[in-house]
Amino acid sequence: MSRDILPVAVILFILLIGATGMTQQSGLHLQDRIYTAGSDSETVSGILAGDSRFTVKSIPGGSLPTGDGFEIIVSGSEAYAADTDKGMAALKALEKDYTNYRIALYNREDDLFAAYPLWIEEETVKSELDFIATQSGRMAVSPPNPNVKPVPENPPVEVTPPSAEIGITEDELRSELIAGESRDDRISRYSDVISPEGVDTAYKIPSQMSPSLPFDSIILVFVFIFPLYFTSQFYMMSIMNERIERSGEALLSTPVSGWQIILGKGIPYFLMMIGISAALTAYTGGEFMILLPILPVILFFLAFALLIGMIARSFKELSFISIFFSTVATSYIFFPSIFANIHIIGMISPLTLVIRLMEGEGFTPFEYVYSTTLFFLTSTVIFYICAKNFNEERLFNYNRLMPRMREFIETVISKRWTNTSLFLIAALTIPFVFMAQLMCLVLFFNLPMPLSLLLLLLFAAFIEEFAKSIGIYTIAYSRPAWLTWKNIFIASVAVAAGFLAGEKLLLFATLAEISDSVFGEIMFTSLQILWMPLTLHFIGIFTTAAVLKIGGRRAYIPALMAATLIHTIYNAYFLFYGGI
Amino acid sequence: MKSRHLQVIAKKEFSSLVSEKTIILAIILQLFIAMFSSFLLVGLASMYNPDAISQYVKIQYPIAYSGSHTPVLQYLEEDGDFIVYEMPLSDAVGALKERKLSAVIWVPDTPEYADEPVKITIYTVQNDIQSSIVNVKLKDTFIEYEERLREVRSDRIENQPVDLNLPPSNPSADFYEFVYGLLIPLLVFMPAIISGALIIDLITEEYQHDTLETLMSTPLTFPEAVWGKILACFIIVPLQATGWLILLILNGIRISGVVPIILHVSAGSMVIILLGALTALRYRERTNAQFVFSTALVVVIIASLAFPMNPANLIVRLSVNSIGHEHWLILAVVIFVAALLGILTTKYAERVRDIAIK
Repeated sequence: MSRDILPVAVILFILLIGATGMTQQSGLHLQDRIYTAGSDSETVSGILAGDSRFTVKSIPGGSLPTGDGFEIIVSGSEAYAADTDKGMAALKALEKDYTNYRIALYNREDDLFAAYPLWIEEETVKSELDFIATQSGRMAVSPPNPNVKPVPENPPVEVTPPSAEIGITEDELRSELIAGESRDDRISRYSDVISPEGVDTAYKIPSQMSPSLPFDSIILVFVFIFPLYFTSQFYMMSIMNERIERSGEALLSTPVSGWQIILGKGIPYFLMMIGISAALTAYTGGEFMILLPILPVILFFLAFALLIGMIARSFKELSFISIFFSTVATSYIFFPSIFANIHIIGMISPLTLVIRLMEGEGFTPFEYVYSTTLFFLTSTVIFYICAKNFNEERLFNYNRLMPRMREFIETVISKRWTNTSLFLIAALTIPFVFMAQLMCLVLFFNLPMPLSLLLLLLFAAFIEEFAKSIGIYTIAYSRPAWLTWKNIFIASVAVAAGFLAGEKLLLFATLAEISDSVFGEIMFTSLQILWMPLTLHFIGIFTTAAVLKIGGRRAYIPALMAATLIHTIYNAYFLFYGGI
Repeated sequence: MKSRHLQVIAKKEFSSLVSEKTIILAIILQLFIAMFSSFLLVGLASMYNPDAISQYVKIQYPIAYSGSHTPVLQYLEEDGDFIVYEMPLSDAVGALKERKLSAVIWVPDTPEYADEPVKITIYTVQNDIQSSIVNVKLKDTFIEYEERLREVRSDRIENQPVDLNLPPSNPSADFYEFVYGLLIPLLVFMPAIISGALIIDLITEEYQHDTLETLMSTPLTFPEAVWGKILACFIIVPLQATGWLILLILNGIRISGVVPIILHVSAGSMVIILLGALTALRYRERTNAQFVFSTALVVVIIASLAFPMNPANLIVRLSVNSIGHEHWLILAVVIFVAALLGILTTKYAERVRDIAIK
């Protein structure tokens, strides 16, 4: 970024604050006036007029329950809705508005405990069964038998009945209720589909019992992520500029190594990102502990910025790959944090830790390791590959995308220690494999059940087979003569062992808890005793390599498909017929 | 400006888009965003509100009831979602820890008309999705009991709300506003935003790769080259938007006003693309141009959402057929703005050429 756009940047920044302020004042006018309602009651008209989604018309008293062009008709104390999807959606909106109106009245009653006579206290207990039980195929809760009372196997610990009294005064409860009411309706409307009225307080009225979505924190998280993304773009462009303007040539002719150039160019941006995050933390009044979970995210962004800057051939390609990457990465980072208050799966994203900190809870060192390992690992792998390839030959050729990726991999395969390289490459693909599989889980969740399961099985297998084949495929290109049957056999063992070792190590470190679901079981079925998955991985990669040898490198796609098929059948067998 | 020259440039840009496969990446990207956003809403909503997906309803959850006898016990027993066991609290919590139960409820002996509230305690398993589901199911029972207690204590409430009897609602309506009010405008405007970024790359590339002089030595003029690029970026917008609408319609989502929607998107995208072209001509360098353009675009989008009848709102209302003819007026205004920007772009490009010739 050059200095002459600084004034423009400042103006745009001021405009941005202005525009945001304006939108906050007037609300988002996206779904304005999509429904039409007719009402003969002034109170109900008043309730609906406060909701920008409705166009309200007054109609004569005692009107017919149906009318042309109306989704909702209110006549006396009866409401009618048109029998269409739109009518039902309008009814939902009315329901919500009416509830809000009642809440607003009740919250101001003198006798709060007459308006809210029932309060719920939630206590959680820690389960004594760990996930291994579910992993071995047992159901989490055995199907209930109405005639037999469940009896605990272990002698139960005496539980003192909770006191019948609420330890908080009426005024405190009231202020909490009123605070909940003032949430901006125009924004909460979008989150309400997911979690209506959820709050996090010690006592709840029944309508607040849904788990709460950390909505404000999620918005804040975006505030943190976007500047980081922008800054990493500058790093990407700075690398790209070295290439197109060939100014990198001068740099490379000096005795400085690729590592040093990459780090030297990256450090200012790294510091900038840390600075921005620190400034945002100070501004939002958060703890500086927030920087700890943000650090791996920064490294992750920088690593990918470097890689994209090194492989793109043109600006178009740079734009699209980077937009694509940022969307995928943002969703990967963002999606688990929605579960922050519900399930441990939320912990796979470092942002969940940020949300926890913002909500005033901390995190343990173990949780930190759990949620950041993948990010540290992937960043390191990418930095390593890029540093190895930071030379004239790679920087100034404009091959197509796929061949370029292949060249990058080729550089890190040692000619002498080929099998060791293959072992390491296979092990290092594991973090990427897990990330890709998790994304599949997210995407296929949308589809109806048998289809989603089937697709997940297929794709999980495909991703693994693809990752395993990377090394051997690269060799098939650069040194086809190397692929003798003996070498293929040994290489397959190396890859299978590397892959398994990586999987075991990473699993040990992080993803233990995710296997606690049907979907998790698919991803991790290959984790029973060691020799079975080892054989599976071996057969998979050996199939790919053998087809590559017989059919030449054009047979890569069929080779992958064959391996995927075998892998899928194996997984499906263990999923549906139990097994070990 | 010769139309044949425009075609040549537009064709060249097209073929490079196809050969670099960037356009495919762009389409995958949009698909991803669509799937992801629907995962967020549909998937999560079903987790928070299991009734939204009917398959879950069959499951019966074992729960334990302990404490004093109240109508809550009867409500729970009548509810088909639960199998209720009366158990002492300690046994029940022990069984819960072993996951033989889904929840334990403890009810005190507070009288219904008492001054203080009734406080019910629920025990569930920590960090478990099933606990959230059981909680949501219990909620309905407790709301029923709350209504009963409120009725008993009603003479103590001063401002009674106006009565309004609502017909039973249909849980599938949850996603109506998401599909029409968020997904459709997002999907049809995404191609426009992508094209805006694309035009910047196409123009700055000529500057930064020093291919501008070669281009000027051909019979093509600089304004022609710029407009050819604009044309290439523009044409793909209605194509993609139409594709999205067709896909949505094939999925059983009824959309009214398809033609006006496409017209609005095309006019809006022209404005965005021309803004991108002007930024690129001004800065000649990708980093700066993209930075200024994307920030400006965010400002424009946020600011326009602050006004009623903004283009996104128009598209929502057109798709659900809740608008009269007033949207044509807005369309005319947007086209007028696009025309102004078009003239400005031509003038700017001519000036750039004149400077280059000198």
